[in-house]
Amino acid sequence: MAAPAYPAWVTRWVSGQWRNKKRPPTLRPPRALALADKVANRREQSTEATCITEMSVMMACWKQNDFNDVPCAEEIRTFYDCVAKAEKERRNQNEDTLSSRGNLPSSKVNKLLKRFPQITHYV
Amino acid sequence: RIMPVRWSRYNPSYLEPEVKKESLQKPLEELTEEEREQMELKAVRPIKAAPPSLSSSVFSDPMISKFTNMMMKSGNKVLARSLMSQTLEAIKRKQLEKYHKAPESEKETIECNPYVIFHQALKNCQPIIGLSNITRGGKTYQVPVPLTDNRKRFLAMKWLITECRENKHRRTLMPEKLSQELLLAFNNEGPVIKRKHILHKMAEANRAYAHFRWW
Repeated sequence: MAAPAYPAWVTRWVSGQWRNKKRPPTLRPPRALALADKVANRREQSTEATCITEMSVMMACWKQNDFNDVPCAEEIRTFYDCVAKAEKERRNQNEDTLSSRGNLPSSKVNKLLKRFPQITHYV
Repeated sequence: RIMPVRWSRYNPSYLEPEVKKESLQKPLEELTEEEREQMELKAVRPIKAAPPSLSSSVFSDPMISKFTNMMMKSGNKVLARSLMSQTLEAIKRKQLEKYHKAPESEKETIECNPYVIFHQALKNCQPIIGLSNITRGGKTYQVPVPLTDNRKRFLAMKWLITECRENKHRRTLMPEKLSQELLLAFNNEGPVIKRKHILHKMAEANRAYAHFRWW
């Protein structure tokens, strides 16, 4: 018989190239395939400035009354109240619970993860 | 929250001394539960030594003592205190002179108590909003910022003292200069009030940068 023209894959298959040991590796992991014990350092989104509306209202009042404090007493009082409230909130907020945006800062997350590390060995 | 203290050498179990006479004169029945527990605790725990600036007299005023301390130079508290008392005396004399010269209708409007004048003058001098330097992208901006009470009081006292020390004639004595400044500030006039208005104007001019604040 003349040489039978098999398709290329048949020859390859018969030659045993695709048997388990000779297959090229499907994954070449650059790092170990395990969860690390730390999170990347993400820049905390800074909070916005508080009490800007009260401040602008007070400044408008000042402009009208030539920076005299007596006629602007009401606006000044509201500004002080707003500032005191913001200060109290900032003091209460700085705990280990979630911030106003619902994210923990990366430093706190790292501390927690260090307490409960990923076990990569057999016990 | 417990604040770490750097220089205090007392054991944390030491309590602060109680100076006010009114709290000690209350009869036992009127005290609330917490106050009774506090009294029992004081019987057991040691108490810190009272600092010399703390006094239980009716004539002592914390603001006046703060002002005296700021006026003091190189630890000369005796001189600073005498200057302060001379200032208050000068204020009283000036106001009494005005009182006796005024017609009957205006006699009630003139304030003669120097302590009241001092407190009102300080309150009039306190700035409401301050400026702080914030650097963004290499440039420093003056951002309007709310101030704490302590900072306001400090600035008012500092402005008064620097104004008296620098912008007056060399031969005038400090009590006279101070009494003049305090009376002007009491009436919302004078260079200290002007300085406060300049600060407010600058804050108002820079109000566009208010968003650079992050607190």
